[in-house]
Amino acid sequence: MTSNGALLQVEDLTKHFPVKKGILIERTVGHVKAVDGVSFEIREGETLGLVGESGSGKSTTGYCILQLLKPTSGSIRFQGVELTGLAREELRRTRRDMQIVFQDPYSSLDPRMTVGNIVAEPLEVHGIGTRRSRRETVRRLLDTVGFDPNFTNRYPHEFSGGQRQRIGIARALALNPKLIVCDEPVSALDVSIQAQILNLLKDLQRDFGLTYLFIAHDLAVVRAVSDRIAVMNRGRLVEIGDAEQVYTNPQDEYTKALLAAVPVPDPRKMKERKRERRKFAHTLAEAAESADAATLEPSQ
Amino acid sequence: MAVNPSQEAVRGAPGEPRSAGAPVRQSSLWRDAWRRYVKNRGAVAAALVFFLLLLYCFAVPGFWKIPGIWTSLRDVDPYQIDFPNAYASPSLAHPFGTDNFGRDLFARTALGGQISIAIGFGATLAILLIGVVYGAISGFAGGKLDNGMMRFLDALYGLPYLPFAIITLAIVGVVNFWTMVVALSIASWFTAARIVRGQIITLKQNDYVRAARAVGARWYRVLGRHLLPNTLGVLIIAIFLELPGVILGEAFLSFIGLGINPPDASWGSMAQDGRDAYRRAPHIIIVPSIAIATLVLCANFIADGLRDALDPRTRES
Amino acid sequence: MALLEVTDLRTHFFTREGVVQAVDGVDFSLERGKTLGIVGESGSGKSVTALSIMGLIPRPPARIVSGSVVFDGRDLTALSESELEDIRGKDIAMIFQDPMTSLNPTLKIGTQITEVMKRHLGVSDEEARKRAVDLLEEVHIANAADRLNDYPHRFSGGMRQRVMIAIALACNPKLLIADEPTTALDVTVQAQVLDLLEELRDSHEMAMIIITHDMGVVAEAADDIAVMYAGQIVERAGVLDLFDRPEHPYTEALLGALPQIEGEGIREGRLTAIPGRPPDLVDPPPACRFAPRCPYANRNDSCTTEPPELREIRAGHWVRSAHPASERAAHAQGAPA
Repeated sequence: MTSNGALLQVEDLTKHFPVKKGILIERTVGHVKAVDGVSFEIREGETLGLVGESGSGKSTTGYCILQLLKPTSGSIRFQGVELTGLAREELRRTRRDMQIVFQDPYSSLDPRMTVGNIVAEPLEVHGIGTRRSRRETVRRLLDTVGFDPNFTNRYPHEFSGGQRQRIGIARALALNPKLIVCDEPVSALDVSIQAQILNLLKDLQRDFGLTYLFIAHDLAVVRAVSDRIAVMNRGRLVEIGDAEQVYTNPQDEYTKALLAAVPVPDPRKMKERKRERRKFAHTLAEAAESADAATLEPSQ
Repeated sequence: MAVNPSQEAVRGAPGEPRSAGAPVRQSSLWRDAWRRYVKNRGAVAAALVFFLLLLYCFAVPGFWKIPGIWTSLRDVDPYQIDFPNAYASPSLAHPFGTDNFGRDLFARTALGGQISIAIGFGATLAILLIGVVYGAISGFAGGKLDNGMMRFLDALYGLPYLPFAIITLAIVGVVNFWTMVVALSIASWFTAARIVRGQIITLKQNDYVRAARAVGARWYRVLGRHLLPNTLGVLIIAIFLELPGVILGEAFLSFIGLGINPPDASWGSMAQDGRDAYRRAPHIIIVPSIAIATLVLCANFIADGLRDALDPRTRES
Repeated sequence: MALLEVTDLRTHFFTREGVVQAVDGVDFSLERGKTLGIVGESGSGKSVTALSIMGLIPRPPARIVSGSVVFDGRDLTALSESELEDIRGKDIAMIFQDPMTSLNPTLKIGTQITEVMKRHLGVSDEEARKRAVDLLEEVHIANAADRLNDYPHRFSGGMRQRVMIAIALACNPKLLIADEPTTALDVTVQAQVLDLLEELRDSHEMAMIIITHDMGVVAEAADDIAVMYAGQIVERAGVLDLFDRPEHPYTEALLGALPQIEGEGIREGRLTAIPGRPPDLVDPPPACRFAPRCPYANRNDSCTTEPPELREIRAGHWVRSAHPASERAAHAQGAPA
């Protein structure tokens, strides 16, 4: 553990994707700067919400931190240890302390594995326990996330999106991690189910002392779970601070425009907000254009 | 405020029951695929005929050994030579007639079928094995290795498969089941490799592969536990797509005299036997030809049916 | 007379697993120049409702089993396919959710816009092209004349959605149905598209139906709101009244489940989660469809025995429930429980 209580320290993280052209012989003609010099810290036990639109680089940042993508440059210190350039076995051991929950409940679970095997896999990979003890642990984990442990022999496709997300969360908890990167964990869920899962994540954080990097595009969802917020735009971190501060008193133009663009479920407020939005018309148009342009570039 | 006991509920708040509920749908992927397959009448008919053909080939040649089963037909031993009866047209005693040696064609076609089908499946499995290994390595590795392997494959695509089969047999000298399998597969695994590589690349995009990596699974676990089992559907279809080509290849090789040696027979060699006697006893060449055509046609229909049944796009609805 | 009057619409899907009662009792009317927002989660039947109005449901396995859709005096459910084709694109237009797949990738944008006009208005090529340029300008696409010759892949998501809107507006329809028009878009783009739709609605004097799951979007864009659950409209009211005083337990729960962007104590608090899941539409609950998840349903009342009717609880505010909020409050005040 580092001296100032920061569980994760990211400094000047960059990730460039080469743009290749050519049919027979591919040449690299340029780079997409998906993440362009991002720095932040996450303290133990807190939730940092990472917000941005498509093409902002937020998911790429998450994957780089977990070393699922190799950063182009920059430093990522987790529990005081520098992750980039870490030896493979060491990295493998460190993975036990940092896990991920994915966005898509349909592609995040192997359709050919039973629920029980999916949740047990992390334990198997690290050789933890015996088959019987693993079964017990799996039951316990599923129970913790509100998934009936009697269904460990079923397959993922038999369950709904919300149930599958619970399975994914149980899997993420299996190794008792310190940090969990939540990559848009509720974006694919209906509002009522979304609320269930958000409540669950909050409870788990409280019960197990987890630290979250919560990546999402929905500003309201992020607000519900985050202590601090970081706003990303086109690979850069434009604003970071206390959640309360950022939402009520944003400093950056982009953040202001973003907040103004979010529709709230209150028709009277909406009339006011629409007027507010006009002030940011220019910034919004620019942001929309770059968000638009991002979808035309190679995906991350 | 009444608490509704039949509610599924959420974990956490005091007083709320704990479970998120039972599965929402009860079917299995295979059962759904089966149901879809069964809706396709052509595919079902083809599967039936295919199965009957297999039954015929593997059951009939042994019939003559079972006393009492064949009372009106005596000479159904496919090896029994009976010159006086040679070139006989189809009759009750010999439903397909007899060949140039007087051997019963009904039994002999079945026997030939055994070898044709065995070589067919053997070579197909060999093709798939090579294809899976090559395609999986290429697709899984990605990057420059994948690039290199694919360019190499592109070059190999130019190799004509039958001449290579002939050359292989010529080099080896001996023609038996194993050499035929090698000869037929040596230059025909390219498409299978490409299919497997494509499937692996598609599967790699799934989050569950990332999840396995995030947990620290080593590459062989990701490949063996997550990627290859999910290519099963594609492989099953590939079997029925490769089968016709291989069967026709064997038939051709045997027809031009490079195939199975007598007294064993394959459909191709039987056709070759009948080639000279075409005018006098056309049934000798026609019967094995129809057998080959039937098998190939069935395999194609089955492959189509399987492809529709296993199409992942319609799987999650 | 209202522009669109939907009465007791029921659309069922006849599948091997049973009859899916996707839409089972939808009533509403829409005046010219007004916007109706239809809100619901997945499986609520909102998209099927829109498709039923347009006659675009796949037949088989679906069929409108009863009800009427009276548009400008004619019952659309009684028209033939060719009569419907004359209306689609001309009087009623629809835009869909996914801008990436809604346009034909092999045709130029210009062709896709002019084709609608030529089909319905019989204008010349030149005239159609001129109008297409005007339309693209109306939806704020720069360099409109040049852009006509581009293929869809040269447009981003937000711009494709605008092209879709242009196509929809080509023949000046009286009604525009937008099915989740901004769901696949980023929030900044969404804001622009919603502003655009409002602007166009006013300038073209169109009526609009916006279908979405996002309560914020309807708060912004709609005059009236219909909340759907399990194939039925469970509450219908003007936008201000619905948000000020929601009546149906589902609407209340839905609003409570929404994470708020402004307010106190958000981080520490819990969202109101609705336990359970939406019902299976093949075998929905016999009476009130929300009863199994409703905190107010009781073994002793009619919730599980009699299906509640849509009734007008105050002027312009309809609800389908045995326990609407105002009656609960009155009951609690009136007598001990």
